Amino acid sequence: MVRVKSRYLLCEVNVEDRSHLLLLDDRAVAVAVKATVARTHGDYGAALCSIGFSVKYLNAHTGIVFLRFPKRCYRILWSALPFITCIETRGQKVPCFLNCLHVGGTIRTCQKFLIRYNTQQLHRMLPKCKNEEEKRQVQKSILNCTITRGNRDESEDDSESEEDEEE
Amino acid sequence: MAVFMDLNVSFSPEKSRMKSLIEAAAHLGFSTVAINYVFEPTAKKKPEIPTPTPIRELIDHLPVVQGRSRPIRVLNRLTVVMSDSSHFAACMLHDVDIICISVTEKLPFFFKRAPVNGAVDRGVAFEVSYSAAIRDSTRRRYTIANAVSLMESCKGKNVILSSAAEKPLELRGPYDITNLGLLFGLSEADAKEAVSSTCRSVVLHAESRKSASGIIYTMKSCSEPSSQQGAPAACSEDTPAAKRARPHLTCD
Repeated sequence: MVRVKSRYLLCEVNVEDRSHLLLLDDRAVAVAVKATVARTHGDYGAALCSIGFSVKYLNAHTGIVFLRFPKRCYRILWSALPFITCIETRGQKVPCFLNCLHVGGTIRTCQKFLIRYNTQQLHRMLPKCKNEEEKRQVQKSILNCTITRGNRDESEDDSESEEDEEE
Repeated sequence: MAVFMDLNVSFSPEKSRMKSLIEAAAHLGFSTVAINYVFEPTAKKKPEIPTPTPIRELIDHLPVVQGRSRPIRVLNRLTVVMSDSSHFAACMLHDVDIICISVTEKLPFFFKRAPVNGAVDRGVAFEVSYSAAIRDSTRRRYTIANAVSLMESCKGKNVILSSAAEKPLELRGPYDITNLGLLFGLSEADAKEAVSSTCRSVVLHAESRKSASGIIYTMKSCSEPSSQQGAPAACSEDTPAAKRARPHLTCD
């Protein structure tokens, strides 16, 4: 078959201070990844990165990124990701690290994993809720976590406010 | 899901930092961490061995591990720095569980087959720590060089990868560490083992050192006196009569 295959890496950006997360955008992440790959694997890595790599999705509230790599070289480029120490955005250096959660062949499989993962996160937040109102909101979000066509954020929008309070 | 462990987390006297380290490890999915106390026998007469702080003082509420339902398990570990690196053969005879490969200096001849195989037979694991690679570029080269030469002589068995993390930002997730193992020359299966099953066997090896070749072990009596009468099978007294303890098989 002549289908172009790629691997989508679902990563989570961990920062110490959650307010820094909101500063991120996909350009900054792409620049950081390319710079790190060039540092680690030299010109070969930089060349591999220039062909198929892109940042497909970034959620600044939860810190989830989808990175797309071509299938033949994703392992090499993935091995450079642990060396990212900070992302530079809007003149500020945000110290962070990338934690890879899932590798999928299509965006849809990554999306399904992300929905399950967010449901787990909501479950983890449930014991930390401070009052009844928050608990009800979180429970409602858990029940609403389904995958519908074209809507990948519906489970996350409800839980952003609680996520900020948790940390 | 496999059990992932990070057996080297540096101790620091600041409680908030330890707390954030442990919480970050739980968030990433490590079910066990071991806090590392380093001991350097310098030329002092009476070197003091650092005593581990009880876990309850460090952090009140152990966070639940991501993806599992149990709270994270925190162990303590002591590292003794060997002064003379040519005494590596003597290391084989010592009663240790882990041999750390230092990454900050070049070790030219170090890994001969005979002591390495002797260590592997005894169940001792070799440890490579990766946080130096993350911090510094020249250290990265030494880390990879040392790790690759280690893998050559030990064929990738009995190796654990761990972070010597001082800050929570120096930790990495288990799948990322597995990939780092590929960089160091391990195969895919070996790299995954290096984070999960080899770590588990090291912890069991350490537990078995307290007992008589892993068959019998004693535990401190943990419950109040009233419940002790009711449940004598749960804990046993910490008496020298180890025959009283329940026979417990820990074969590995």
